[in-house]
Amino acid sequence: MKLNNLLTLFIMSVLAAPMCLAGSIKGKVSPGKSVVYLESASGAVTAVTGKKITMDQRGLLFQPHVLVVQAGTTVEFLNSDKVQHNVFWPSISGDKKKSHNLGTWPTGQSKPFQFNEPGVVTLLCNVHPEMAGYIIVSPTPYFTETGADGAYTLASVPDGEYTITAWHEGKKIQSKKITVKGDTTADLTLQ
Amino acid sequence: MMTKAGAFCIFFLLLLFCPAVSHAIPAFSRQYQTSCTTCHLDFPKLNDFGKAFKDAGFKFPIDNESFLKIPPVMLGAPAQKELFPHTVWPGQIPGILPVGLRMNTFFQATSGNRGNFNSLVPPGAVPPFIPKTDFSTGLFSIFTAGNFGDDIAFWVDEDLSIAGDNAAGGLGDGYLKFINLGRVFKLPKDSLSLRAGRFELDLPFTQARSIDISPYDIYGQANIGAVTPGFAQKNVNNQFTLGGGANGLEFSGGRMYGGYHYSIAVVDQNTSGVSQSGNSNGVVPSPTGGANGGVGFASDSNFKDLYGRFSYRFNLERDAASRNGVQAAGASGPRDHTFLNLGTFYFYGRSVQRFSGQDLTGMPVVLTVREPFYRVGGDFSFNYRTFNIYGLIMYGHDTNQLPVDITGTPVPLPVTGAPPPVGFVHGTPASFTGGFVQADYLVLPWVMTIARWDVVNSGEDRINGLSQSTSTPFGLPFRSTRNRFTPGVQFLIHANIKASFEYQFRPQQSVTIITNPITGLPVAIQPFRTNTAVTALEWVF
Ligand SMILES: [Cu+2]
Repeated sequence: MKLNNLLTLFIMSVLAAPMCLAGSIKGKVSPGKSVVYLESASGAVTAVTGKKITMDQRGLLFQPHVLVVQAGTTVEFLNSDKVQHNVFWPSISGDKKKSHNLGTWPTGQSKPFQFNEPGVVTLLCNVHPEMAGYIIVSPTPYFTETGADGAYTLASVPDGEYTITAWHEGKKIQSKKITVKGDTTADLTLQ
Repeated sequence: MMTKAGAFCIFFLLLLFCPAVSHAIPAFSRQYQTSCTTCHLDFPKLNDFGKAFKDAGFKFPIDNESFLKIPPVMLGAPAQKELFPHTVWPGQIPGILPVGLRMNTFFQATSGNRGNFNSLVPPGAVPPFIPKTDFSTGLFSIFTAGNFGDDIAFWVDEDLSIAGDNAAGGLGDGYLKFINLGRVFKLPKDSLSLRAGRFELDLPFTQARSIDISPYDIYGQANIGAVTPGFAQKNVNNQFTLGGGANGLEFSGGRMYGGYHYSIAVVDQNTSGVSQSGNSNGVVPSPTGGANGGVGFASDSNFKDLYGRFSYRFNLERDAASRNGVQAAGASGPRDHTFLNLGTFYFYGRSVQRFSGQDLTGMPVVLTVREPFYRVGGDFSFNYRTFNIYGLIMYGHDTNQLPVDITGTPVPLPVTGAPPPVGFVHGTPASFTGGFVQADYLVLPWVMTIARWDVVNSGEDRINGLSQSTSTPFGLPFRSTRNRFTPGVQFLIHANIKASFEYQFRPQQSVTIITNPITGLPVAIQPFRTNTAVTALEWVF
């Protein structure tokens, strides 16, 4: 009985430890309206399972224009327009071997694609060259879109070593090492 | 007074520079916030979506409103329809001024033997100067198009200046089109529309909106008869060309991206393209009066000319949904259909001749005859992905009404007034045949390669710009064939800026005719090859 109590206490304290030792990252990305995500120091990818999210094509636009997802997420590419569209990406984070063309499909239907590899996916349509959308695939569950002013908060981030990356359309993607210990701040300026 | 040589030189240069008038529509690009390539392959060539957009009255074929980024201005709330006829039927105008502008500029190089033309100049005269290389300003045009709500489309294009000369511009097309008029008569969708105003005839392949720098020879072919005694005399001087603008009404229906398409147009006569009083060519029929006073070859609008076209386009996809769609669904995105389009066209008109003559009692009268003529042809177009081969063949026929005197004997041409004509009889018809075949291949989305062959066989061929010359085969009464082979390549620097290059091979065109001393027959000598390289820069915005 005593042993059991001790064991329970031990298990509880082990479980509680990460919770106690979690913090948050607050900061500002310049310019505003950016995407921020964390990568673990080891570079290991934490994939999510069974998560689905929709990227719409409506009014000759990708909607939303920018989508951030965790690796493992399935994106449903929907065509809500009464014209034909196409979706392809010429690379993922510049790696042309990861290019893909989803083809074309009728109005009201969607085509799924599971993004397992982290990186920046630039969505294009070969019928409407002005169309562009972005999917940012985060290697961890710690990602967010900043406000218009660039302010962001990544909550419940376990203490540890990370790489923080900020992306903004048309700017050079930027990463830096960060150590999270309790509440941390990280500002990034993209050129 | 311009010399023959000078006039000839100008005609020659105009011919070489005569750029195809083409238009893309940045006005639509602005309203829908979409690229030129949504509707064009290599502007102004339309892709299948562009054809459907045009058919629909310059609108997205379905659900247009959700694509318009700039909402139209309502000229009356839609609910006003309930009040009709006690209110004006509500319509709309585009939310921004739907204006596009276009400019192009040229550079050309003409081959060395262009100087063979010098033989046309009378001894002692200064030969015309045809520069080896030349820069030339092209067109500056304004064009506006769109729609006034669901069912009325409009188009106006106007060349503000041509070759830098403000006075030389003119109206291209200007029309109002009532889309789907068939609704009123409970006809199927797209089966009847009406267009009114000035427009290019519904040609198998547009001249006004062609991608080529130089126009199709057959579309510019007039029909001229020769009046040289000793040959079958022809009293024909019909300046009508198929590529010319027409004023009138046109009923049309069907779709350009698949299935049938037809049009029937009723248009004004347009058979007197050049001033006859300036005609000094001994072998080309000319009017009797010096200043004419309306006597001679003329156009009058009392008889309306008719044009009809029917075509059928077979989309060759196996999958029915893909076959019937505006575009085919390809593995890597929508694309133009693989198709075979077959068509036929027919133009019937009358060219007017007026002669000073006499009636049967000897009273001086103006004799008028409306000479029937027709143009008939067939065309094909085959498309596979971005490769398109197309062509047409055409036959032109003018009846040839010869003046006769009171005894019924043909009056020798040219008519001098004695003996006075009293009427007309049918002579040997004046005719021509010709056409073109063109292959386009879009190698890359921004690189178009073109190969084209033009051929025209006619008697009395003046189209080479030698209209003021006498001693050329083009003004003589035997048939000659003009061939032209024109390879070209075009680069879209951006979707709205194009650099075009074209090389015109003109094999074996002879300048001078002599009589063969042995056979006594005319022969053409001094062949020249006015091969011409033309570069064009064009931008629309
Ligand atoms: Cu698209």
